[in-house]
Amino acid sequence: MSSLMEIKGLSTEFPLADGVLKAVRGVDLSLETGETLALVGESGCGKSITAASIMRLVPPPGRIVSGSILFKGQDLLGLSSEEMRQIRGNRIGMIFQDPMTSLNPVYTIGNQVAEGLRIHRGLSAAQAEDEAVAILEQVGIPAPRERLRDYPHLLSGGMRQRVMIAMALSCRPELVIADEPTTALDVTIQAQILELLDRLKTENRMGLILITHNLGIVAERAHRTAIMYAGQIVEQAPTAELFANPLHPYTRGLLASLPEFAKPGERLATIAGGVPDLKGELAGCPFRARCPIGDQGCESGHIEMHEAAAGHLVRCLKAQ
Amino acid sequence: MTALLTASNLVKEFPVRGGMLGEKRLLTAVAGIDLELHPGETLGLAGESGCGKSTVARLLTGLIPASQGEIRYAGSELSGMDREQTALFRKDVQMIFQDPFSSLNPRMRVSEIIAEPLAIHRIGTPGERRERVAALMERVGLSAQQLSRFPHEFSGGQRQRIGIARALAVSPRLIIADEPVSALDLSIQAQIINLLQEVKRELGLSFLFITHDLSVLRHLSDRVAIMYLGRIVETGSREQALDAPLHPYTEALLSAIPSIDPEKRKRRVIAKGELPSPLSPPTGCPFHPRCPYAREICAKERPELSEKEPGHSAACHFSAEIYRNDASHRSP
Repeated sequence: MSSLMEIKGLSTEFPLADGVLKAVRGVDLSLETGETLALVGESGCGKSITAASIMRLVPPPGRIVSGSILFKGQDLLGLSSEEMRQIRGNRIGMIFQDPMTSLNPVYTIGNQVAEGLRIHRGLSAAQAEDEAVAILEQVGIPAPRERLRDYPHLLSGGMRQRVMIAMALSCRPELVIADEPTTALDVTIQAQILELLDRLKTENRMGLILITHNLGIVAERAHRTAIMYAGQIVEQAPTAELFANPLHPYTRGLLASLPEFAKPGERLATIAGGVPDLKGELAGCPFRARCPIGDQGCESGHIEMHEAAAGHLVRCLKAQ
Repeated sequence: MTALLTASNLVKEFPVRGGMLGEKRLLTAVAGIDLELHPGETLGLAGESGCGKSTVARLLTGLIPASQGEIRYAGSELSGMDREQTALFRKDVQMIFQDPFSSLNPRMRVSEIIAEPLAIHRIGTPGERRERVAALMERVGLSAQQLSRFPHEFSGGQRQRIGIARALAVSPRLIIADEPVSALDLSIQAQIINLLQEVKRELGLSFLFITHDLSVLRHLSDRVAIMYLGRIVETGSREQALDAPLHPYTEALLSAIPSIDPEKRKRRVIAKGELPSPLSPPTGCPFHPRCPYAREICAKERPELSEKEPGHSAACHFSAEIYRNDASHRSP
């Protein structure tokens, strides 16, 4: 059976005044139906640009320069803008971090949820309204029919995120990309939203790409996890395997720095230094300058991903 | 041991305009809290957005006046302090803010930012100040070579180091840190937590540490206080409040944290519904509409914060049940 999504060699660049920022540098990822794949990394690692590339929504002057994104065997990068519009919001849904900036403040909730239903599913205004009520109810919005006439600013952050999820799921997409869906929310509301997302994913048999920097969320929700650093996937494995047996020194460093694993008051492990400048080519391993185990062999050439154990891929010369 | 800073029955109300007619109403951000901070101690104050924890920070530093209640620093009441005492209070109590991007003046060089508190408090000669600023820069892990740069030339983590250097400049006794690591990436967060711990130990500082992240809270605090809708609902030692909570809100907060450790993924207590508006708080216990243990009395009578075991207080009618419940799923 072919994958729901198969990304190969995806590269996205931003030509800037002082050089070309290579934000995504040859990303390979795959996702099966019903699977949750977590894409993890710190700010600027390229995880959100990877998501934007899949949706073909890279903000200008950025552009996708190479690679392929097969969605059920069809290359999204070969589609016309019109064909892409048929897929975006319909067969692939998207949930963003901040529902206040991604909902349109001058349209009512009803208008925004029904829009996709009318455009993609060809429902009449009345049908779309009934369907919108049903969907809002499904995501746990109380008194959904009354909410249709509300504007986004009247809702709390958690409720706005539920509306975003309702919009993303309204056309029963086969794949949903959620970019930091709970980062702006309080922890008790975060727990509610993650439960909701999991339930809807199972009910609708969707694939889910979950982009986050929160390793706890990853551990609890994702089947497989990919760790991104400086525009590349540096490690990828089934989630339980990744946390039990992290191989890349960056993954190990991230896990060790969590207060959760330290005794209270004890010094936390840290990763020295900061991320490299992503303008132009990087020779050798981009983590070399911060790496506790690297040596001269890591400083040149292109370091390939290799399979260290079944399904466990790592981009490191030292990791066995 | 005498407390360095105490707050008793602290209340802060803000007038707001609301509704269709724009009528004036009072929003009670802090609804009567008591706090005590001892020399050398770190008190962690936690809660979700809108619970009033940042208002508490602003009250305790004297940035805004309290509507009711009193704050005492080293024995004297804040509003009754003379000029000299006020100056000493403002020197002794320093703040570190959440957002390293908006809390540093973009038009000032780093050297000026760190030296500003020294100038305000007229400490040292210009030469001595320069030396002190260079030493502080090195202390927080930056280089004295970078002193003539502007804030935008630094990363988020480096800016937070600059904010810490500025707070340390006048040798404070107490630092109030409002979400100092929340805006930072994971690997940088650990560096800043370590730095805060180091300076605390070296200089014997007291800390009031405000955060919504309970794993950071557990790591840094000696004692913790949990806030909900303007009130402290639970307070105790780190172990008491976070390992054996007596308030259902603390329990819900702890169980909502996604954990990497499968052992810690215990039975999940999900708080129902949403945070009520502080403009119209629920009757009785403010947590009762979301509480899995709530009974009739909870909607009628607000439970006072009371000591349930030595040093450990909670504001709940049914603490005994939570304790049993918790013990039953933690026992090996």
